[in-house]
Amino acid sequence: MTAVIKTEKLTKDYGSGRGLFDLDLEVEEGEVFGYLGPNGAGKTTTIRLLMGLIHPTAGSASIFGLDCWRQAVEIKKLIGYVPGEPSLDPNLTGGQILEYFANLRGGVDRGYLKQLIRRLDLDPSRKFRHYSTGNKRKVVLIQAFMHRPRLLILDEPTSGLDPLNQQEFDGMVKEARDEGRTVFLSSHVLSEVEKTCTRVGIIRDGRLVRIGGVHELRDIKRYEITISFAQPVPTEMFATLDGVTEVERLNDGHAVRIAMQGAADAVIKAAAQYPVVSLTSYEPSLEDIFLRYYERDGQAPKEAAGVV
Amino acid sequence: MWFRTVYLKTLRDFRIPILGWGIGVGLLIAVVLAAIPTVLATPEARAAVVALGPSFAWFAEPVKIDTPGGYATWKYGLTLLVVAIWPILAQTATLRGEEEKGSLDTLLSVPRGRVRLAVEKVAAMWTALVTMAVIVGLIGFAGTAKINAGFGLGATVMFGINLALIAAVFGAVGLLVSQFVPERRTAAGITAGVLLIAIVVDMVHRVEPGTEWISRLSPVYYYNLSKPLIPSYGVNAGAMLVQLATAVVLSAAAVWLFARRDVGDTVHLPGASRLAKPAARPVAALPVGDWTLRSVYARGMGMVAVPTFWWTLAIAGFSAWMVVVVQQTAAQLKSILQGSPVMRDFLALGGSDSATQSAIFSALFIFMPLLLMAFAVTQANRWSADEEDGRLELVLSTPQPRLQVLFGRFAALSTATVIISLLTLAATAVASSLTGVRIDGGKLVVATLTMIPLGLLVGAIGYALSGWLRAAVDTGLVSFLLVIWFVISFLGPGLHWPDATLRLSAFYYYGTPLLNGLQVANILVVVLVGSVALVLAAARFTRKDIAA
Repeated sequence: MTAVIKTEKLTKDYGSGRGLFDLDLEVEEGEVFGYLGPNGAGKTTTIRLLMGLIHPTAGSASIFGLDCWRQAVEIKKLIGYVPGEPSLDPNLTGGQILEYFANLRGGVDRGYLKQLIRRLDLDPSRKFRHYSTGNKRKVVLIQAFMHRPRLLILDEPTSGLDPLNQQEFDGMVKEARDEGRTVFLSSHVLSEVEKTCTRVGIIRDGRLVRIGGVHELRDIKRYEITISFAQPVPTEMFATLDGVTEVERLNDGHAVRIAMQGAADAVIKAAAQYPVVSLTSYEPSLEDIFLRYYERDGQAPKEAAGVV
Repeated sequence: MWFRTVYLKTLRDFRIPILGWGIGVGLLIAVVLAAIPTVLATPEARAAVVALGPSFAWFAEPVKIDTPGGYATWKYGLTLLVVAIWPILAQTATLRGEEEKGSLDTLLSVPRGRVRLAVEKVAAMWTALVTMAVIVGLIGFAGTAKINAGFGLGATVMFGINLALIAAVFGAVGLLVSQFVPERRTAAGITAGVLLIAIVVDMVHRVEPGTEWISRLSPVYYYNLSKPLIPSYGVNAGAMLVQLATAVVLSAAAVWLFARRDVGDTVHLPGASRLAKPAARPVAALPVGDWTLRSVYARGMGMVAVPTFWWTLAIAGFSAWMVVVVQQTAAQLKSILQGSPVMRDFLALGGSDSATQSAIFSALFIFMPLLLMAFAVTQANRWSADEEDGRLELVLSTPQPRLQVLFGRFAALSTATVIISLLTLAATAVASSLTGVRIDGGKLVVATLTMIPLGLLVGAIGYALSGWLRAAVDTGLVSFLLVIWFVISFLGPGLHWPDATLRLSAFYYYGTPLLNGLQVANILVVVLVGSVALVLAAARFTRKDIAA
């Protein structure tokens, strides 16, 4: 396998501890690589360094063996890019924007472009200013995919998309992967990365804290269940069940909030012994996970640090 | 403290413009007042100025112009109305600008009514203008320290208040217009156009007798009815009240409309609903077939097309109108010249009718490069703002070298300045031919075409500064530079400033091409400095981090 993206000690120091520090990363050809981290962790900084939009304070980054700063123009012939906060001329229609970028890139198959427009159900005759957040995101996604680039760099690409279009996007990423193209995708939504990516890197406070296969995320993936009962119950009985990591007694024992990993079978069976009024399950955001998992006692647990 | 209310927060946002415009305008008044002993040193000089006044009545009504207050009021005339630009920009940015950014949604999510929110913002603007007026008054009064001006602090403050009132009127127009258009930029452009029309409408009665009823339609007319720096003329309370009432009514109308329309939408005029959104045309909208989408340069041309049209109309139209003014005033001035050798020396004029006309036209033509340079400032601002707003990020994610992007946009600006200059040449030539005002064709070509390097100089400086500064600061600095250059060339010769100082102004190198033809060396200096600024802009842009 060839490394499509390679960084060595890549650093962008904005001062006061902000930025990206000593990033060593390799993304292989044909991979769908998820780049996870809470807000402000350094995901966008990494991507902007890869795109040659900002230059590194130290270290190096290359794409297809080309230096991201010095050979940025050559690199951009090979990639499609979705920025985190797309800003485009509000007076142009979606169609005009796509045509403009098709002209600037060259080599765009108009048939494929129209196919993407249909697929994401975009009305290209409307002005960009009149688009909803989701439709703006569609325009940017289409311009990234329309020339079938060898590498897609996507900064939180599904932000603002409805579930149907998110599904369509997942399909587009899968097709790109099946065609042997490479995808570098940043996100702060764990489930999104789980669905689409083969390998994942986790960044926090500007440093890569984990990197590994997507299945290896399970140990940090947690969810919470809140169960309300018609009468007070002995909530401590949940603490010893499989997968339960934390139990919190609520409302004088009329309810319980359980943090857990893995299957919920044991918890559901235990709860069923009492009259259940309601049951809700929720997946915490990555930030919640980081707060609880990585910042416990102010430092990362030993098993979580480093490459797995 | 500043974040306790919308009023205080808005006032805080205005603190730099309040100081900038207040100090700037105050200094302009102080400088001209301090120069009075030099300009009106002798009875002959005073007589020459008085004789000259009627010929420039179109610019400002000559009242007691041999006195310090009269001279200062007349000397700046309409140019001080430039103060209205800030409230126009600020008021169109107040509601419409915040809607564009989306920040108004958040602001309106707090438990505070729309009317109150808008009123607090308008009140902050008026407070800012009053503060600015006081600063103008204080600094202007400081300029009278070494002369017997014949007026006191109260007069200079009232001068500032009168200026603040007319600025408030056009700010209110901007606020009202922004209720009807979806973009802040469009609202500001339309309001600037209204300001220009109001200025011309006010001028009419000073050029054509018996047309005062037309001028009464312009708010500028009421501004000019008060001349606080001229003790015998003083303040026209009624005129000031008219301005105040106009500002209040227009602002109230804007607030009323704002409270009733959808946020992010515009007020729909009757009948406009029938022209509402076209039906969705999913894929049929492609290919677009628009030539302005073929390259960065072509896109730049597309972006600059509409502003170029309006600026051409203004500059070429103004130039043609100047020809008409020259025709009307030349005969009058000629008779003054014949009877006054002092006056002839004062204006450095003489000779035939043709020479007199050329001299007057040359004196007026200085406004053309100034306007072209102002156009270049707006376009440099657009480049700077595009980068700041992240609009270059996706363009730079395509295989377009940074240099190509920068030069593509600058080339579009260059093309626009060439078009404006050529059309100004054509309009002036046609007006000259129709009115019979004899202007040397070759020199007119030189005068219009040598405006181009001046426009590009300002554009290049704006592009260069954008490499380091935020768009607002960049635009402010370049605008300030333009004003400084103009003041140096406008006041410097009369104040006998040293040649080294005069050479600091770009207008010095433009010279008087309508009289002296092409000064190759001087124009080459402009080209050289402009090229250095452009190289600096390019060097910086290829190395800098692109704004996120």
